[in-house]
Amino acid sequence: MNDNDIIIETRGLTKEYQMGSETIYALRGVDLEIQRNEYVAVMGPSGSGKSTLMNLIGCLDTPTGGEYILNSVAVQGLEDDELARIRNREIGFVFQTFNLLPRASALHNVELPLIYAGVSSKERSERAKAALERTGLGDRMEHKPNELSGGQRQRVAIARALVNEPSILLADEPTGNLDSVTSADIMDVFESLHEAGQTIIMVTHELEISEHALRTITLRDGMIESYDAHREQRPVGV
Amino acid sequence: MKPLEGVVLALQQVWAHKLKSAFTLLGVVIGVTFLIAVITIVEGMNRYVKEDVAGSLFGVNTFTVVRRNRVQTGTQSVQERRRAARNPDLTLHEVEIVREAVPDYWLLSYYQDRYGLEARRGDNRYRRVRLIGGSPDHSELQGWDIERGRGLTTLDENRGLRNAVIGSSVAERLFPDGDPVGGEIRLGPHRFRVIGVFEEQGGLFGSIRDAAVLVPFSTYRQNFSQSRNDVDAISVKMRTEEEFEAARLSVEAALRTDRALRPGEPNTFHFETSDDILDTWRSISRILFMAVPGLVAISLVVGGIVIMNIMLMSVAGRVKEIGIRKAIGARKRDILLQFLAEASTLSLLGAAIGILLGIGLGYLADAIFPVPAAVPAWALAVALTLGLLVGVASGIYPAWKAAAQDPIVALRSE
Repeated sequence: MNDNDIIIETRGLTKEYQMGSETIYALRGVDLEIQRNEYVAVMGPSGSGKSTLMNLIGCLDTPTGGEYILNSVAVQGLEDDELARIRNREIGFVFQTFNLLPRASALHNVELPLIYAGVSSKERSERAKAALERTGLGDRMEHKPNELSGGQRQRVAIARALVNEPSILLADEPTGNLDSVTSADIMDVFESLHEAGQTIIMVTHELEISEHALRTITLRDGMIESYDAHREQRPVGV
Repeated sequence: MKPLEGVVLALQQVWAHKLKSAFTLLGVVIGVTFLIAVITIVEGMNRYVKEDVAGSLFGVNTFTVVRRNRVQTGTQSVQERRRAARNPDLTLHEVEIVREAVPDYWLLSYYQDRYGLEARRGDNRYRRVRLIGGSPDHSELQGWDIERGRGLTTLDENRGLRNAVIGSSVAERLFPDGDPVGGEIRLGPHRFRVIGVFEEQGGLFGSIRDAAVLVPFSTYRQNFSQSRNDVDAISVKMRTEEEFEAARLSVEAALRTDRALRPGEPNTFHFETSDDILDTWRSISRILFMAVPGLVAISLVVGGIVIMNIMLMSVAGRVKEIGIRKAIGARKRDILLQFLAEASTLSLLGAAIGILLGIGLGYLADAIFPVPAAVPAWALAVALTLGLLVGVASGIYPAWKAAAQDPIVALRSE
């Protein structure tokens, strides 16, 4: 596998929407490239368009202009159902507020993407258990989210995000609801995932968190202001 | 996502919100309970009428010749009824015609009767007995068993003796403290000796028998009859169904010949068989069966509306959950099916509970009233199908609303 595979490429990515009589320009033509196994942080003040960018990259929304090519497939013109499929197979979301189903066990939460992928019950269960074990929750699979600590909940969310082996892990303020100790734990998890080859894109407003990534993309007023590489990319396997 | 997953998830949801689910189900439960209870009772009545009543009132393989149809079935036109009113009376002459037409009969009897006579013994009175003047085989043909004493015999008939066999209610009223047999009663102005008591029949239709007093036909003719040769009914009992059919046809032909009826002319007499009461019952049950669907439909519609509203509230409260599901890959149809499955599961569950309650009510009615209950399998199938239909119909709008949620907006909600 070529280290220089480009997983995400956007050209002139634009998003506008109407608020009453006003037109809001959330993104004004973003060009970016993200390669396989990159670890990228996205920063910017509120209104900079970073949430919009994440929604577009995550295929939760479609651009009003420009192109978005994910794994060599142009996704900007796809239908709802196809976008849903991409979200299921290619994207793994990790949210600030965890967003687990509150009345389902950790195991069931992690199985959910596999249910929507049509995976058989037996295989589903095995894969979900494996994902939970990889994030260190092998002994808490039957617990409901309210029986887990914040850090544990985020680990369940990470297991869910990875269970379908997505191209990208998309994290939106993943440590926003966690204390500093737990935050450090979660960053360690991300680090080990990155070392194992996962591509990670993380939105954050905290500088210390962003420094765990290899480079930072900063947005302002709907456009990219800077790309800063602040750590060396370690080749996979070393 | 396979539909079975949906049902399982739906059941988990129902279990997670037991109280809310219980309220949601109420309309459907009530509708189905009512449906099943009524069907159970009506079906029970059907069987009762067919097996017990028809058999005991009219006898098996028995037909009775009467002047005209006494049972109101609503199937006769006004014309037919007017014509029947002009039918000539039956007399002893007709008894002979019948006897000659069916020489191989098992039992043959005839009688006259009247209602309203008072039976008295001292200060005890039974106000309205049914006084029957019957031929010797009358009680045997009717299947009326004697509990004490004996029945009437040819001797009583030939001598015109003033002997009477009385029904259990009459016996109780006139002889509260002792054995009626051998006792003396007054029927109208005449004194009669009680020689026997009929077994108590009870039940819905048996009370008629319990209020009867049977005396010999000749005695009745002598003492009570206004028209001495007249006969109110002639009954013939055969041993088998084939013989019964053949006998009836034979009697019909003989009577028609005797009365010089031309082919195509209707009978100037009527045959009573157990079918008559079945027809009466059928017209009653038809009315019941017409009213029931209307009432059931109303409850089910109400139940469906309740389910729809509860589902709408449920969807509104689970917007974030829908957003999460869509974010991890649920398509519109996955969400639609999920909520549709929930509504259908709720409704089916309501139908199942309604079925159990309906059967329970039906059997409760059985225990209290003298009516047996029977649950036909088709009623269960109908109830479950209705449950499913109501679920789908009431769930489709909320499910569509759920599926239409925008994931980004949904994820932002609380």
